[in-house]
Amino acid sequence: MTMLDAEERGAIREGFARLLAEKCTEDDVRRTMATQDGHDHALWQAISDMGVPALLIAPDHGGIGAGPVELEALMEEAGAALLGGPLLSSAVLAAGMIGETSDDDAKARLLPGIASGKSLAAVAFTGDAGTWTAQGVEVSARQQGDVWLLDGTASFVLSANVADILLVVARTPEGLGCFEVSPKAAGVAASLLETWDRTLRLSRIIFSGAAATPLAGIDEAAVERVLDLGRVALAGEQAGAARRIFDITVEYLKTRVQFGRQIGGFQALKHMAADLLIEVESATSAARAAARSLASGAPDAQALINLAAFACADAFSQVAATAIQMHGGIAFTWEHPAHLYLRRARADAQIFGQSEMYRDRYLTAMENAA
Amino acid sequence: MSDTVANIREEVRAWLAEHWDAGQRRAKAGGSIADWLDQVIAAGWAVPSWPAQYWGRGLGKEETGAVIAEFRKVAAPGAGQDRSNITANSIMQFGSEELKQRMIPEFLRGATMCLLYSEPGAGSDLASVRTRADLEGDVYVINGQKVWTSGARTAQYGLLLARTDWDVPKHQGLSFFIMPMKQPGIEVRPINQITGDSHFNEVFIDNAEVSATNRVGAEGDGWKVMQTALAVERLIMGEGASERRQGSFKDNSLSLIDMARQTGKLTDPVMRQEIAQAVAWRQLNTLNLVRAKEEMAQGASSPIMSLGKLAMSRILHGDARVVTKLLGAASMLDGVSDPRAEDVNYRTANAYMNSIGGGTDQIQRNIIGERVLGLPREAEADRNIPFRESRAVTG
Repeated sequence: MTMLDAEERGAIREGFARLLAEKCTEDDVRRTMATQDGHDHALWQAISDMGVPALLIAPDHGGIGAGPVELEALMEEAGAALLGGPLLSSAVLAAGMIGETSDDDAKARLLPGIASGKSLAAVAFTGDAGTWTAQGVEVSARQQGDVWLLDGTASFVLSANVADILLVVARTPEGLGCFEVSPKAAGVAASLLETWDRTLRLSRIIFSGAAATPLAGIDEAAVERVLDLGRVALAGEQAGAARRIFDITVEYLKTRVQFGRQIGGFQALKHMAADLLIEVESATSAARAAARSLASGAPDAQALINLAAFACADAFSQVAATAIQMHGGIAFTWEHPAHLYLRRARADAQIFGQSEMYRDRYLTAMENAA
Repeated sequence: MSDTVANIREEVRAWLAEHWDAGQRRAKAGGSIADWLDQVIAAGWAVPSWPAQYWGRGLGKEETGAVIAEFRKVAAPGAGQDRSNITANSIMQFGSEELKQRMIPEFLRGATMCLLYSEPGAGSDLASVRTRADLEGDVYVINGQKVWTSGARTAQYGLLLARTDWDVPKHQGLSFFIMPMKQPGIEVRPINQITGDSHFNEVFIDNAEVSATNRVGAEGDGWKVMQTALAVERLIMGEGASERRQGSFKDNSLSLIDMARQTGKLTDPVMRQEIAQAVAWRQLNTLNLVRAKEEMAQGASSPIMSLGKLAMSRILHGDARVVTKLLGAASMLDGVSDPRAEDVNYRTANAYMNSIGGGTDQIQRNIIGERVLGLPREAEADRNIPFRESRAVTG
């Protein structure tokens, strides 16, 4: 992975922000979340035209060949706008997983479509336990002659409902592996789950002897590397979203008048805002530091990625929850956007695992650094 | 890194190699620390961002940062005082030309000072100070009482905030002085702190004198001058100056992990969560400061610098809480009965130095809310009335 220079990076980010400001407004988010597939095709086309799904894919396969730093920056914008749809599943997780395979033919076959945005892929990591750990994998693969067959359950699969390629992490006799499956194959039964964050689409998929193609060279370590990419992306989303709902809240503190004063003049609220600013800035710093360390392969990358995973999740959760309280009654209404951020915050705090797990891993990384 | 930064870095390195003995940590030419500082000043490293006619080199932020970094690498003192020297900065920004020429070199070469701001009746509401400065001929006669003054016993000068006009609102009647401390009429009494230390003092001022030429800024500009000085101080605190004796980020995280290991609690899942969070707060603050410095090096202003001191409060109180839990019942002990407890208990009490000193956390939240986020100011009953009529005077 290479890093773009600062100017190119800034230009991509600005372009993406402009696009979202125009085509991913609160109205657009609400319209899309009310649809069956939760996927705004026109918006995805525009995002694809910009080259965003190509970001992490190597130039050999129609991609841009950028890395975690560029990804994190775009995800801050995506989070701020509450962008839903297949960006995280297809352009980050699936692109990352296929990027890990040693099978060049699979790369040549799958990556150009993902880069162009025409093909959408989803990755199934975890079972009903929803831990995003090796222990949480509930699909197993067995070889029968020349073919592999999958059995078991995958759940919480992001954007699988719109995917034309499923990548399924499964147990094999040699440890974890990853398999390509067609969602239409016999023995694949996917059901769309109802989600509290209505911008999100999660599926539960039951495999009963579904025929699958192994992605060569994917082991547990490779799966972890893909998840690291996902963690950095999610941290960026959380940092960007936390900042946006914080800004919305501060703006309200300046316009809402009670007792003859702007309510932001009251210390009860002013002090809450000051405390939240620390959270917002810390989340931004953590997400960006994690992205940089992953991009450069720094020795403290594991510590920083785990730190970002819980610091950004906790910050976004706290900011979004407190924002509703600070607004008062208006934010208890469906029409106000604050609850959309709370819904996203609570979902994001579960995707890839909870803060408690990451705090423990962070401490382990700090112990190992000693 | 730009060429100019690389060039400056090279130049500083070469200069230090020629003049500073890094192994012995002393000037190659020998002499006192003041002699060393003279060399640093003459070379323009003391205040690199200031113009050449004022002991500087007119360098940009990034170049100045490089100068400081090079000095730090070899533990050579005296560079980058344009960021850290409260007195020199105040005089440079607000002082008369005569005062600049007379006193800035003295402070750059290590003259000591103490801060005469707070009073028993003026803590968070600092603008209500009642120490008076009355002009008689060429000198101001000073009367009043100051408190929370560190270094007052040894300081050569005091940076004094005193009232010169009682008939205007409280912020407008203040002036800022550099007062010689070694004179009759100044009595210093140590304060016994909750830690058992006596870091701070009370200063009783009874007809002490300051030359009118030692006033920084015009009469009535004292509040503005002090704000600048205070900003420098808070910046230094946010970077963790108050806990320097406790070592760096890495040392501190290790000390928590080490203590957990020693007390057999490193495998306790509940304690692991708390330790990780305490370590994380510290690392997040470090990451924030690094990012703020990068943003400022690129010329952007950063709101983060205002957050450091408040963030440091939760770090220090949080550390103390976690270490107390690790020690358990032993944290009741002290002194020779348990040296670790002594350290923990000291940290617990001393954390308030950061969360009260230099502006309480609550005042910091006001400042962040108002100056960074642009929220409305606190209502002040005495903001627009002559100070003489305020309750600070009438009781």
